Amino acid sequence: MIRLTDDIIIRTVARILIPFIQLYALYVIMHSHHSPGGGFQGGVILGASFILYLVTHGLEEAKTRMSEMKAGIFSSLGVLIYSGIGLLCLILGSNYLDYGKLSAVLRVIPAQARSLGILGVEIGVGIAVMAVMFSVFFDIATGGELKEDQE
Amino acid sequence: MTTFFIYLGMGLFTLVLLCLYRGTLGPGVLNRIAGICAIGTKTLIILLLMGFIYNRVEMFVDISMVYALLNFIGTITAAKYLEMKGEV
Repeated sequence: MIRLTDDIIIRTVARILIPFIQLYALYVIMHSHHSPGGGFQGGVILGASFILYLVTHGLEEAKTRMSEMKAGIFSSLGVLIYSGIGLLCLILGSNYLDYGKLSAVLRVIPAQARSLGILGVEIGVGIAVMAVMFSVFFDIATGGELKEDQE
Repeated sequence: MTTFFIYLGMGLFTLVLLCLYRGTLGPGVLNRIAGICAIGTKTLIILLLMGFIYNRVEMFVDISMVYALLNFIGTITAAKYLEMKGEV
């Protein structure tokens, strides 16, 4: 069981740094056309911010922000966004993940539809990677011993 | 100027090798953690020098910032592992 750390410096630094890490993760996801990064890398940074919160603030307080059930829901939601956009392209009469046909739904030209489609896929991948990273660290840290009433 | 950056990177690479010696063979866990942390900071500077050499420093700044953040979190987690004596 991870406890709250006694060191006030670690806690304060983590509390100040975590919002900037999450903002930077969103930048990496959104700006993946023009700079290195993408859904996976942004999701890893976002998951690392939650892991930092779990390490510094203890298991009990981290569970109020991001419980095991929420991590499971988010990991499924990310995969659902990814495959949903792919299936939407398939329904509209194109190949799987061929975003050009999305222009009929989004009412933009096909080039813009491709850009928006791949952005949606990156967001889905980012959410899934964030939740799975947190879930794996959660399971390793508790040794897989989670009581039912604690989710 | 490119030659200067290349030689600077080679010097830092030599320092990384010295830190790697302390990180792999160093007696005790604390020496290993300190060695890995020092390697992280040197890698950050080497990445920025690569950005200067390739004239794309705005891309490499992103990568080095991620490296610094993950290095910080890794060091914190390793220190927590030591504090709790194997409980993470």
